Amino acid sequence: MLATGITKGRRVAYGIFGIFVFMCIWYLATKYTSLGSVMPDPVTVFSGFFAAFVTPIGTKTMALHILISLRRMLIPYAIGALSGVLIGVLMGWYRFADAIFMPYIQMLRPIPPIAWIPLSIIWFGFDEGSKYFLIFLACFFTIALTTYNGVHSVDETLIRAAKMLGAKDYQLFTTIVLPTTVPYIFSGLQVALGSAWATIVAAEMIRSSEGVGWLIVRGQDVGNMTQIMIGIVAIAITGLLITTIMRGVEAKLCAWAERGK
Amino acid sequence: MQKKQKIRLDRYLFISVLSVCVGIFIWWLVTDGLGIFRSNVLPSPIKVFKTFLRKWVETKPDGATLFQHVFASLQVALGGYLIGAAIGIPLGIFMAWNDKIDMFVRPVFDLVRTIPGVAWTSVMVTLVGIGYMSKALVIFIAAMVAMVINSYSGIKQTKTVHLWVGQTFGASNWDLLTKVAIPSALPMIFTGLDVALGSAWTTLVAAELLASTKGLGFMIQQARGIFRLDIVIVGMVVIAITGAILSSILRFFQRKFVKGGRM
Repeated sequence: MLATGITKGRRVAYGIFGIFVFMCIWYLATKYTSLGSVMPDPVTVFSGFFAAFVTPIGTKTMALHILISLRRMLIPYAIGALSGVLIGVLMGWYRFADAIFMPYIQMLRPIPPIAWIPLSIIWFGFDEGSKYFLIFLACFFTIALTTYNGVHSVDETLIRAAKMLGAKDYQLFTTIVLPTTVPYIFSGLQVALGSAWATIVAAEMIRSSEGVGWLIVRGQDVGNMTQIMIGIVAIAITGLLITTIMRGVEAKLCAWAERGK
Repeated sequence: MQKKQKIRLDRYLFISVLSVCVGIFIWWLVTDGLGIFRSNVLPSPIKVFKTFLRKWVETKPDGATLFQHVFASLQVALGGYLIGAAIGIPLGIFMAWNDKIDMFVRPVFDLVRTIPGVAWTSVMVTLVGIGYMSKALVIFIAAMVAMVINSYSGIKQTKTVHLWVGQTFGASNWDLLTKVAIPSALPMIFTGLDVALGSAWTTLVAAELLASTKGLGFMIQQARGIFRLDIVIVGMVVIAITGAILSSILRFFQRKFVKGGRM
């Protein structure tokens, strides 16, 4: 049956118990089967993860690895968000812009950002530029299209009513279009944040010497499974953290909107 | 009125076509036309098109024709995807339906799903080595996560009223699941299939870039090494087209199987 009246405390207790059992299985599997020869046990991984905050892996400590990756993600994410919202609104509001940009978006969107790696290396080199480009691609299309859909979901009757009462174009925009669109923009931003963070590993596959993705790629190169797992733990925890923060911001800013729940 | 609408529609279609034509013309102008970019930075559209036609029969420089690469990629992607769907859908339904299991498994699942598919590549390559198995496993994980999430929330969105009605008429727990919950979750399950297909295809390219000897991702990686950007672009286009074809096949099945209004 579907959920009814189970207290939050029990829920949390079950959850913690579930994770505990998962860790136990992982631990026992590495200790008593042949998996142990290639896979580190959870204690090693988690103690390694926390130890990395003090003793550096490569040239940096864990906090720096995470911060560097975050900066690598946030700069192109901000650019992608700004231009995505702008293009999305433009396309949603003017049929003319729609007709010009839509074919390009439809053509480029199905190409996975990762498939751009070879081209971006040649265009932007091995430095930060190519990484920014990849992450920009990972978020731009999502944000542009959700914004576009948001503008299109505006109720026609409201616009006609406002026009009849003598609203000017920018008034229409600020009082009707924007409030309807903001929840859509936020859901686009949320999805794009997830995919931008997921692309960080791919971006750091292009030559890099620090960052959480580097931990994984480097770990694979030297066959260090513990380092790979530490990198994965770092990515998972940071990813969980930033999406939770984003959801909190959305709940605060869009509290008035049904979709913003 | 009707006619006027049609003419306006045609006008915007005309603008779209014109926009693409102008785009391709500018691309041609900066490459072949004025020679601003050389072909190892940006190959001309004509060259890309020629390469696209030639690559179907030619094995140079990466040892396989385009068809062989596409076939290799599809084999891996569909293998991992189908197993992912076969396990992911029932797991998602089961998790959503059974409260105890839900509370027990959900946190573990929430932890695992934050790990991007690409990150698994390194784990799998170290575990089972480079080959079909490692790539299929990575895609399996990527596809399964999307499947579980969507079928889970599909079942959770079942209207309680519908369940009550079912109960009033004496439906068993099994009846409620198969006759009420699953049919109403079907649109979400198909959304899951679509999302999973997208992430399977993306992850495949990543896996092939890192560890492979054949496939589209391998092809573009090799071509970059020798600055054959025309092959890189051909590869990207084929990746996009194949992905689009796969998802339109899926949409065909969706129209066939999902009854009633779309959500």
